[in-house]
Amino acid sequence: MQPAKDSFYIELRNRLVAVDPQRTIVLDGALRPAIAVLENEPPNPTPPICDCFLLHWGSARLVRPSTDTLMALDCTIAYCTAGAEANAHLDRGRDLARLDNDLLAICSPAHTAKFDYSSGDPVALGSSLFWTPPALTAAKTMPPYIGREVSITLFFYPKVNQT
Amino acid sequence: MLHALGGAQITLRIADPSAGDTSSQLGIAPPMSEDIQIEPALVRTIAPSPNGARRIEVTLSAKAVKPIAEQYGVEDVPTWLLTAEGILYRGKLMSIDTVICDHLGGVDYLYHITATE
Repeated sequence: MQPAKDSFYIELRNRLVAVDPQRTIVLDGALRPAIAVLENEPPNPTPPICDCFLLHWGSARLVRPSTDTLMALDCTIAYCTAGAEANAHLDRGRDLARLDNDLLAICSPAHTAKFDYSSGDPVALGSSLFWTPPALTAAKTMPPYIGREVSITLFFYPKVNQT
Repeated sequence: MLHALGGAQITLRIADPSAGDTSSQLGIAPPMSEDIQIEPALVRTIAPSPNGARRIEVTLSAKAVKPIAEQYGVEDVPTWLLTAEGILYRGKLMSIDTVICDHLGGVDYLYHITATE
């Protein structure tokens, strides 16, 4: 399952660099594209991370247990923004729309090749994963923040030779 | 005041800046850590958390913390403390839950850190 999770993140990260190279963030002292997998980050309580896509992994299951090993894995992508202080945060809705646009752009096309990153270097596994179109929930307001969560389900075969 | 109450020393463990490469983003290569001694400190055991874990409150003077924070280019000291890996206390790393800052005349003078085992 880990290669699917890693490949999905890396693909979205690389697409974000291409779609919106200015969307970066400093996390743990390093400048990087503004997308992160929460379980890969330090477990410290931190203030809300704005203008960054945060991936959370949800439940996983076999899609057709009696016939094959196709797996489904839920992913939630959360993001929020406060707008700009210089604009009295009045542009937070517009910033959220820009985040929505970036997210929709990086989620298409809804498939990518699967790699094993456990050694540090990507090793092609000869298979791929695909995912559902992103489902955007209603925006939530937590002044001065506004944000939303997006649900995506990934599908993949956990074994290489079954694609 | 902290000196008068015992003036203990605590160890704050901070993570060095991440390399920001793919391995660190995937949680494969953990960042290195650094231990910083800070004194004077007042350590008080407080009520345990709901699951029974030991909790302590550490009070630090801004006068002791700020020169150290400046060495790391830190401007927002409370956030820096909050995002540290934890406090080493009696050989155990305790994670930092909250940081409360006391101000006087617009200047920080005390930091109260709550940490859980």
